[in-house]
Amino acid sequence: MQSDQAKWVMDALSRYEAALLRYAATLVDRAEAADVVQETFLELCRADRRAVDGHLAAWLFTVCKNRAHDVGRRARRLRSLEDGDVNEAPDSGPVKKLEQRETLSRVGAALEGLPEREREALRLKLDAGLSYKEIAEVMGLTPSNVGFILHSALKRIQREIARDSDLPLHAARRTS
Amino acid sequence: MNTAPEDPRVTAYALNELGPDERRDFEAELAESEELRQELHGIEQTLAALREELSSEAGPGLDEVRRARIRAAVAPPKPKRRLAALGFAGVTLATLAAGAFLFVGTQRSERDAVSLDEGRMGEESKSKAQAFAAPVAATAASPGDRAQDERAAGKRFQREAYDAFADNPFVQVATDPRSTFSVDVDTASYSLIRRHLTDGQLPPKGAVRIEEMINYFGYAYPEPEGDRPFSVSTEVGAAPWAPEHRLLKIGLKGKHVAPADVPGTNLVFLVDTSGSMNEENKLPLLRRAFSLLVEQLDAVDRVSIVAYAGSAGMVLPPTPGNQKGAILGALERLDAGGSTNGGAGIELAYKLASEGFVKGGINRVILATDGDFNVGVTSQSELVDLVEQKAKSGVFLSVLGFGSGNYNDSTMEKLADKGNGNYAYVDTFNEAKKVLVEQATGTLMTIAKDVKIQIELNPAEVSAFRLIGYENRVLAHQDFNDDKKDAGEIGADHTVTALYELVPAGAAPVAPGVDPLKYQGPSAPTGKGARGELGTIKLRYKLPQASESQLMEVVVRDARSAESGDFRFAAAVAEFGMLLRNSPHKGRSSYADAARLAGSAELDERRREFVELVKKAEGLAPAEGR
Repeated sequence: MQSDQAKWVMDALSRYEAALLRYAATLVDRAEAADVVQETFLELCRADRRAVDGHLAAWLFTVCKNRAHDVGRRARRLRSLEDGDVNEAPDSGPVKKLEQRETLSRVGAALEGLPEREREALRLKLDAGLSYKEIAEVMGLTPSNVGFILHSALKRIQREIARDSDLPLHAARRTS
Repeated sequence: MNTAPEDPRVTAYALNELGPDERRDFEAELAESEELRQELHGIEQTLAALREELSSEAGPGLDEVRRARIRAAVAPPKPKRRLAALGFAGVTLATLAAGAFLFVGTQRSERDAVSLDEGRMGEESKSKAQAFAAPVAATAASPGDRAQDERAAGKRFQREAYDAFADNPFVQVATDPRSTFSVDVDTASYSLIRRHLTDGQLPPKGAVRIEEMINYFGYAYPEPEGDRPFSVSTEVGAAPWAPEHRLLKIGLKGKHVAPADVPGTNLVFLVDTSGSMNEENKLPLLRRAFSLLVEQLDAVDRVSIVAYAGSAGMVLPPTPGNQKGAILGALERLDAGGSTNGGAGIELAYKLASEGFVKGGINRVILATDGDFNVGVTSQSELVDLVEQKAKSGVFLSVLGFGSGNYNDSTMEKLADKGNGNYAYVDTFNEAKKVLVEQATGTLMTIAKDVKIQIELNPAEVSAFRLIGYENRVLAHQDFNDDKKDAGEIGADHTVTALYELVPAGAAPVAPGVDPLKYQGPSAPTGKGARGELGTIKLRYKLPQASESQLMEVVVRDARSAESGDFRFAAAVAEFGMLLRNSPHKGRSSYADAARLAGSAELDERRREFVELVKKAEGLAPAEGR
């Protein structure tokens, strides 16, 4: 039974670690993302398998999101203790996004320009491969909400790509 | 049909998220509409572009150090240092708890990342098994009963301690027309039975207390009138397992207390943090349960926390209830390790409770444990004495039981009983919510104490009777008027239900009678209310701060009307309990009948779960016992 549990956790790890890392990196710093993903799987180790089976992906992304928010809260608290300057934009905010924008492809820029909710849903769908139902679970929405959000996100990106025709359509492949 | 650009079916179709019917309809529309086909094409192109973009980010997975930590957590190597194991236990629990997340996991070295191994747990359990050998052996069960219990309990529960007891017998009204007992609002037995059945085993007979099963459910009794702290109502109907017998249901309902009327609350959480608590269904569940309770408190309330394991320690001094961060933080710092010294823990908890005493308010120690009091000089009777003495000072005790495997049911029930408290077994988060949130006022706010019931039956109507359940609550008749004798408490909104099986005068006798007396004849009936009155119920109770009891009387008549849904449901629960106990009085009871009878009442979620449990038990029971 012990080894079954181990195999189950390690299989989930190989299958979802990369997508979870990328998802976590949209919520916290890249360095913290690895810790968040580690904690997610440590929690899976202790989870009752019966409670997780059948919605493993949604479970992992939900836990990952909660852990990332915990870290985010802690970081914000520390920052406000350090300088007390609340006008400073948070690191994931739009200011930083705009600075990076020049280096992005048209699609990447359009993606960055999306409202947070749409970006998150798109990432969970296209990068992590979650179903509408699973996305709904992670984001606390109904599946039909998710359908509207994804559709609206795709339409928005379609318009952006057509508009920013001075940028390359795709980024050069990064090898990070 | 809607082919406007904002039709989300286009995206759902492209992502293969439409159901078969929707898909067919959509494809039919697609064949008709050029506009829709273009729309789909655009979406598909955008999706392709996005997929390309996102795949360019594909990075490596988790690094090897973190990977190794996860592997170690799921397949623990044999720990070399016990402390390392305990340290990790603390981390895992902290991460599991809701609320503020302490990011300590990553600061620990990889070598710490080991979990409790089988060997250590085994050793600890063994010493507990020895401690429990005495109460288990000292039961009145026949060898046959015990063999059945052991088979039923199976390997997993073999270290649990349940006191065996015999069902109350039928009593001839001619010999003894009275029955006296103390109320009991505990519900633990039902949760314990649920846990056993959910795990695929019949519960041991000693764990089946029918009154706790019946009292697990709420019934629609009237609100008390005037200054009375509770109402009393009765109903008489047929006993489903013996249709020639009548069943008397007595229902008590504690008055409703609005949250705003609840005076200040002074709570001391006394938390067992011994090594055996380090299981998913114990400390983490307990922490979530307490968090729920803390949510209900505000600035006038006080919360303290004492942990006990080997030595007892104060984790949180009395703290105002609106400082939720401090309270929840202290709950999270609790971690499991060490063995138990419940005695020292209880003493410290009572000390804090008296420091923060709220006059006229709720002063209560809430003990959360899997029932281990096996370190130090504590004997069960000393503990019970201590708890009884503290209850007199106005600090009551509630017991929340957790976990399985070495669970000590008999100690827990006795402690709560003597501590003027209630006892609940928390097997699931829903149960925690029921006990601590939905029934928070009832669990905590006692509205009447030392509630005793004495019933006198009329020989003109009833020849014999038996009290169903309440076996360990039966009182001597003379204790009824003795205000020094302790009895059960009723909380706000609590309902208490008791059932008597009555053999009508003239029906076939259920037990061989005794010979007539040589020196005196049968006492002559008084003739008062000779016909029509089945009997009279007398109740004694004290208001929470009083030391003198008050008396209520209710006459019972058999209206011969159709049984209410509540009546049928309570009878079904009693029938189920008798089957699980293999009671000599079960008569024509069957699981199928209990399920049918319960199903004929109005069912809420809890009652529906009951019907499911009956069916589960039927599947587990040996064929001749169904």
